[in-house]
Amino acid sequence: MTATTVRTRTFVQALNEALDISMASDPSVYLLGEDIAEMGGDFGVTRGLWAKYGAERVRDTPLSEAAIVGTAVGSAMVGLRPVAEIMFADFLGECYDQLVNNAAKMHYMFDGQFKASIVVRTACGGGFGGGPHHSQSVEGWFLNVPGMVIVAPATPADAKGLLLASIENDNPILFLEHKALYRIKGDVPDGHYTTPLRKAAIARPGKDVTVVATMKMVHEALAAASELEKEGIDVEVIDLRTIRPYDAETVLASVHKTGRAVVANEAPKLGGLAAELSATISEECFRALKAPVVRVAGLDAPIPFSLVLESYILPGKKQVVEGIRSVLRA
Amino acid sequence: MALDIETLVDLYRDMWLIRAFEFGLEREFKKGNVPGMLHTGVGQEATQAALAAHLKATDCFFPDHRCHGINALAQEKHQGDGERIMAELFGRATGVCSGKGGSLHSANPRVGNFGDNAVEGSYMATVLGVALAWQMRKEPNVACCIIGDGTVGRGEFHESLNMAAIWKLPVLYACVNNGYAISMPVGKGHASADIVDLARGYGMPCVQVDGNEIELAYVEVARAVDSIRAGNGPYFLEFKTWRWQGLFSGEFRPAEEVRYWKEDRDPIRLARQKISAQSSLQDADLDRIEAEVAQQIERWIDFAKNSPMPEPAKATADVYVGGEGLR
Ligand SMILES: Cc1ncc(C[n+]2csc(CCOP(=O)(O)OP(=O)(O)O)c2C)c(N)n1
Ligand SMILES: [Mg+2]
Repeated sequence: MTATTVRTRTFVQALNEALDISMASDPSVYLLGEDIAEMGGDFGVTRGLWAKYGAERVRDTPLSEAAIVGTAVGSAMVGLRPVAEIMFADFLGECYDQLVNNAAKMHYMFDGQFKASIVVRTACGGGFGGGPHHSQSVEGWFLNVPGMVIVAPATPADAKGLLLASIENDNPILFLEHKALYRIKGDVPDGHYTTPLRKAAIARPGKDVTVVATMKMVHEALAAASELEKEGIDVEVIDLRTIRPYDAETVLASVHKTGRAVVANEAPKLGGLAAELSATISEECFRALKAPVVRVAGLDAPIPFSLVLESYILPGKKQVVEGIRSVLRA
Repeated sequence: MALDIETLVDLYRDMWLIRAFEFGLEREFKKGNVPGMLHTGVGQEATQAALAAHLKATDCFFPDHRCHGINALAQEKHQGDGERIMAELFGRATGVCSGKGGSLHSANPRVGNFGDNAVEGSYMATVLGVALAWQMRKEPNVACCIIGDGTVGRGEFHESLNMAAIWKLPVLYACVNNGYAISMPVGKGHASADIVDLARGYGMPCVQVDGNEIELAYVEVARAVDSIRAGNGPYFLEFKTWRWQGLFSGEFRPAEEVRYWKEDRDPIRLARQKISAQSSLQDADLDRIEAEVAQQIERWIDFAKNSPMPEPAKATADVYVGGEGLR
């Protein structure tokens, strides 16, 4: 079915629409998590769904993250399509085992006899003074886990299309929602549509340098590109959208074209997504590169509370601009 | 309540199947034919036979690391090919998981075996979801998880019992209290050596059973399964038993304790005494059952040994449903 009307929606509204559409069309979809029912979730993503679909399909749980994800996995083993909410990504440690040792390996280790078709939605990212336990970017915790799918939208339209695609997919999906994006607005098509998984988007075409970014950093990269445009620098911004497994083809084709690459990711630099992208680009595009790949990432420290300290740690437009300038200088 | 003699003899055969399976496996393991680690369920056969007797193929059980026996029993009972559990342990292509799982990850949902997870107790969380799905779909099935006493230390134990209780889920907790978690005595590792004490606070029926008396185990499992199927919510059974296998490095328990459990409390010997006392079956009849089972296991071992190894390139298959493209 092709979507027709387009409306302005917040990221949260777009996610809510996706949940609503999938619950209306597929009785095997249900939601579970802390305070998601009557209250509608800490960020309002599930608002109104409890009233519409009832307590059986929109289930409040105790503070039992392992049991939340375990329940999701078990119900998927017998054919349901759960969407679990983990209030803050920082709490994924509490259900890490369920995701890493159970969901991600189940289809493989049991030789295809079970599908862990779950979506675990969670609020990640910093920038609001949330402190060490409410601000982290956790994609790196899961990047090294075969079988795991990590989806990370940057726009309201993709939030909806990727969430629908994730719910309909048979793999275990960690769905990252950056808190700084929840209130942003954008054009969102009405009705059902999916945004393909493992397919990056060219958020801005350009010819001089490639910036590969995720979530909030896509917006920082676009802002950096606008600033540098005034100096005649033409930046291509790639929104990775799916972090694992990722769309290397689109990334590498872009770098082959521009010959310069900056990777921008909010998580700590050491061992993270930025490191992975940088390594793959260096390996695959070595001859095309006119400068070493630059990583723009979080500093290697926990995320402190005071906004002055926090903004010292987290990368933004400024660091992307610096990164682009340095690859152009080389 | 006394069981009729046919049922008792069937259970006797099932217990022997478990023991012969483990003994055969241990022999092959020592010869180097079985890779990895090996935990056996010898001494705990009554619990597994009782559970297998009451769980249907449409129910599920999450087996633990000592559950080769119940895995094989379910596979044989519901599908007639118990040898595929043996083949899995030998890492062969004919195994239930084509060699990807092994001793600690054998599964076959068609016989109700939802797979071991070698992170002890993790499926205490997973079992909730299976039970929830059945509750939502109004299917009167029982979702069972088998755990050791040591596993009770996991946070998942408490998350699971709590959630099963508040949602009244059809979960059967089968706790096999064999007195130790590797070297840790149960009374030292937990606030109570009786696990039912820890479970009771969650408000479900909690029953402690002599896990070496097959009749008692059989009756209590029947009662628990009936209660769960009737929609009364979760049920907790603690089987008091003892594992014959010590540590990998050898025996660590006092000699008198070992003697007591192996000689006085062997569940198979106890069942045999009961059968002899209650029927006209002679030692020779029971020996014949034993010999038949032993031959069956040797056939399974031959099957496993003669089965092909998996194709090496299969090692990267099925990481994702639909492959890297996630279709
Ligand atoms: C979460 C976790 N911690 C530790 C281990 C290592 N381990 C394997 S078996 C075992 C003891 C389990 O004891 P119990 O649950 O009583 O089972 P038993 O071996 O006595 O049958 C341990 C600690 C593990 N597999 N998983
Ligand atoms: Mg034990």
